[in-house]
Amino acid sequence: MYLDEFEYYAPKTADETFELAGRLGSQAKVLAGGTDLILNMKQSLLKPQCLIDINGVKEFQGLIYEAGKGAVIGAATKISELEHSAVLRDKYFALHQAARELGSTQVRAMATIGGNICNASPAAETSSPLVALGTKVVINSAAGERELPLEDFIIGNRKTALEQGELLVKFLLPEPAPQTASCYTNIGLRNAMEIDAVNMAVNLTLEADNRTVKVLRLVMGSVAPRPLVSVEVPALLVGQALNSNLIEKAAAAAAGEAQPISDIRATAEYRREAVFVLSRRVLQEAFNAAQEV
Amino acid sequence: MEGKKFSQVGRSVTRIDGPAKVKGEAIYTDDMVMARMAHGKIKRSTYAHAFIKNIDYSKALALPGVLAVITGEDAPNKWGIVPQTANEVTLAVDKVRFHGEGVAAVAAIDEETAEEALDLIEVEYEPLPVLLDPFESMKRAGEILIHENEPDNVLHQGEQLFGDPDQAFAGCKYVLEKKFYTSYVNHAFLEPHSSLAHYDPQNGQLQLWSSNQVPHYLHRQLSIVMDMPMNKIRVILPAVGGGFGGKGEASSSDFCAALLSRKTGRPVRVTYDRNEVFVTNKGRHPCHMKMKIGLDQNGYIQAVDFDNTLDGGAYAGWGMVVMFYTTSMIHLPYKVPNARARVRRVYTNKPTCGAMRGLGGVQPRYAMECLLDELAEMMGVSAYELKMKNAVESGYRSVSNLHVPHTEYKKCLQTVVENSGYLEKHGKQPFGKGIGLAGGYYISGTAYTLYLSYKPHTTVLIRVDTEGGVTVHCAAADIGQGCNTVMAQMAAEVLGVNYEDVHVVSGDTELGTFDLGSFASRVTYASGVAIKEAARQINDKLFEVAAGMLSCRAEQLEVRDRRFYSVFEPKKNIEWEKVVDVYTNTVGTLTGIGHFSPPRLKGIDLTRGERVQGANIGHSPTFGFSAQAIEVDVDVETGKVRVTKVTEAGDCGQAVNPMSVEGQVEGSIMFTLGQALYEEMHLDKDGRMMNACLHHYKVPTVMELPEMDTTIVDSYDPTAPFGVKESGEGPVQPTIPAIANAVYDAIGVRFTELPITPEKVLKALKEKQGK
Repeated sequence: MYLDEFEYYAPKTADETFELAGRLGSQAKVLAGGTDLILNMKQSLLKPQCLIDINGVKEFQGLIYEAGKGAVIGAATKISELEHSAVLRDKYFALHQAARELGSTQVRAMATIGGNICNASPAAETSSPLVALGTKVVINSAAGERELPLEDFIIGNRKTALEQGELLVKFLLPEPAPQTASCYTNIGLRNAMEIDAVNMAVNLTLEADNRTVKVLRLVMGSVAPRPLVSVEVPALLVGQALNSNLIEKAAAAAAGEAQPISDIRATAEYRREAVFVLSRRVLQEAFNAAQEV
Repeated sequence: MEGKKFSQVGRSVTRIDGPAKVKGEAIYTDDMVMARMAHGKIKRSTYAHAFIKNIDYSKALALPGVLAVITGEDAPNKWGIVPQTANEVTLAVDKVRFHGEGVAAVAAIDEETAEEALDLIEVEYEPLPVLLDPFESMKRAGEILIHENEPDNVLHQGEQLFGDPDQAFAGCKYVLEKKFYTSYVNHAFLEPHSSLAHYDPQNGQLQLWSSNQVPHYLHRQLSIVMDMPMNKIRVILPAVGGGFGGKGEASSSDFCAALLSRKTGRPVRVTYDRNEVFVTNKGRHPCHMKMKIGLDQNGYIQAVDFDNTLDGGAYAGWGMVVMFYTTSMIHLPYKVPNARARVRRVYTNKPTCGAMRGLGGVQPRYAMECLLDELAEMMGVSAYELKMKNAVESGYRSVSNLHVPHTEYKKCLQTVVENSGYLEKHGKQPFGKGIGLAGGYYISGTAYTLYLSYKPHTTVLIRVDTEGGVTVHCAAADIGQGCNTVMAQMAAEVLGVNYEDVHVVSGDTELGTFDLGSFASRVTYASGVAIKEAARQINDKLFEVAAGMLSCRAEQLEVRDRRFYSVFEPKKNIEWEKVVDVYTNTVGTLTGIGHFSPPRLKGIDLTRGERVQGANIGHSPTFGFSAQAIEVDVDVETGKVRVTKVTEAGDCGQAVNPMSVEGQVEGSIMFTLGQALYEEMHLDKDGRMMNACLHHYKVPTVMELPEMDTTIVDSYDPTAPFGVKESGEGPVQPTIPAIANAVYDAIGVRFTELPITPEKVLKALKEKQGK
């Protein structure tokens, strides 16, 4: 319950942070919202010798949207800020929905989007929509900067591509193409404070005919060690005029792709069933929304 | 029969404890700090069943800041709420029987040091086979015993026979028998157990502040464990953050704090983490039940046969009492002329089960209300009609000699059916939408103390003087249910003053007069009787003085609105305070004392007039009733059940504080909705709890809160003080079966195992489609 002793650093600038991260290396953990980190430390699952608190670094915070260019979200931006962002709701609806579903009001007030991603829980709420939206992450260290598609950043259950001394600093969300809509859905036992048994996001762009699928990404969470980007669903639907038959087929394909396990929250069998139902619903929802854009 | 005209009773006045709690100013045990206070922590077993070969705490003792370490040997006296079966010790002696059982405790200058010291205690175990299933436990009793002196791994088994059920079943037109299982759930009260002990070595006096709902029984257990006379011990309750039965007995935290305080000569506080609340449990017993009900051709219940295996966990606790409550609960709220119960409470290597809101009622109620729903369908009548037909009436005496002095159960059923539109909706909604009906009842106090005694169950002392005004003394426990407020309202009612004028001193075994505690929904009724008696003594004395001052006769006076009036000449009146002033000046402080002893009925089979084992349990001065119609939406693709609306009507007699009753009713429904759909403690194969935290143990959140329409039906029990009955455990009873019946109405599947999870629903739907 009690934390082991650790050194606490509170840098004020990005450069200071990179310097600290480089110097302290694997001894240090980055403290953003702390809603996962402190819990793990209390349970002695993590015992970092140093914490680098990045809440004082302005460069890591905030959401900027520029029409035609897309959105940039600082890694230390609070989930509650995303939840209440009007531009996110208009342009990146799936992420808005996921932000609303994450934890409780109190947790959302503390938790950050960077923390949710770097914790790399297979059940994380924001990873599925971010991947579906084609997000890239910017990774920084004293040595410089690199970019990665988010799906290449999360490499396994609680594993990321971060090297020693590196920090995830921001998310780059491309400007949605015309006639695009995104949706998120999830299932757990309760309707709040839940760890998802399955979650899912879809980002769908239609052709000018308003019926044919031009681009589609469907990403599943909590059914694989990392966000699972469906290959089969786009293969079935891109270039096709959507209808409920096709959606049904696509949903079955998604259920086939899922690699769920059984745990305290649900059996693998149930999860697969849920993938089928949720993907059908979320595809239909996205299709309807894209037609109205 | 007395009148129903009240001025203080029946008002939704502000709770006495409300403002401090809302402002965060209420002091709970863990908020208390004393000079030189030390902090205690308990080292817990990492095996569910093992011999303790050795405990080496030398390294812990050597850690700077550690003041003392105790083990089971420091307090070998066994304790238990039921003295006949007391088999718990403060810390395990020789053997651990569940994963998480305390094996040693440390006092240190701060919590961090105490926690660090726990890691330095080395315990050597010799693991034993772990028995987690009650049937396996009974089967393997020849090979492995959980308690050496309990030969079948069974705490107790009982058989009760009333009338001739076999013959009755033979003559029945409709007979239905089914198995039911209820899950392993915890109360999840907000405030974890916390105990602060101060042993004074100079005078040998022990004071214990504790988050507890039975200060008297805690007092008694402390006396046993500490080997100290009760008059050297004082138990005090600060604000308590809920109990729901889970604090209805002592906790190891109480004993560890007391022992460590005596050993160190310092005050010691022990507060549990949430996971300790879960692993020490004392929650609801999982029940493996079989129930059979027979109806004659007209739908009248002729017989009930009930078989119940209770999974009790490692120790006795409330087990025997809970077991016999499950048998008692089949006799009401319907007329059952013949009944048999065969029950056993089995030991397993799990955290012990105990008392939980509506104890012993929830499990058989689930079985009975679901069976009646199905029987109504077999007969081709509505469940409403069947239940109305069999419902008990005022003055009913069950074959087991339970006496119901007053009931408005039929009115409850009628009200919910009308308010919910049950008859218009049931069976007539689209697939996936359903409505279910269920009823229930609960005791409003008990007839017997847990240890053999004939003393009154509650004593109230009322003190009146010019300095304090009115002070009500009673060691009852306000654990958040609001008894301090209703006690003030009842005292004010008789004394003719305002409830704000009344100070209540409760939850203190030294300043408060005797009370058994807050359990069995007993406090309003019991304290009401005692308050009436005490307040009348006060009035008798004040009336004489007032009569002298007004030049009339005492019996011609009445008191209301803080004034004494002549009933014949209301112009003749005088302020209440002036009369008190005169009395105090001439005689001194005025006191009145009242007692409550419940009526005792023997648990006999009325058809033969013979005593039946365990059948004293379940008797009560009166009973509260509740009926609920619950509506659900089932997502037939994901299996998720959403409760959309609960319509409830309850008979709580005269509501002393209707707002508090509403809180109790709505709280009861949410509490039990959790067990129906979400909550369950999971153990791995070694008996380790996998979800001992509120993140993974799924209590419903506000997002699961359905629309609620609750009605307090017009009711007044003429045999009860102020006409009152319980309201905090009756409404717990119908919720689970009403949900199960609603799910059946929605999708045509009857669920006989809890919780009704999306996974189970989906599986059942697939099986149904397959057929």
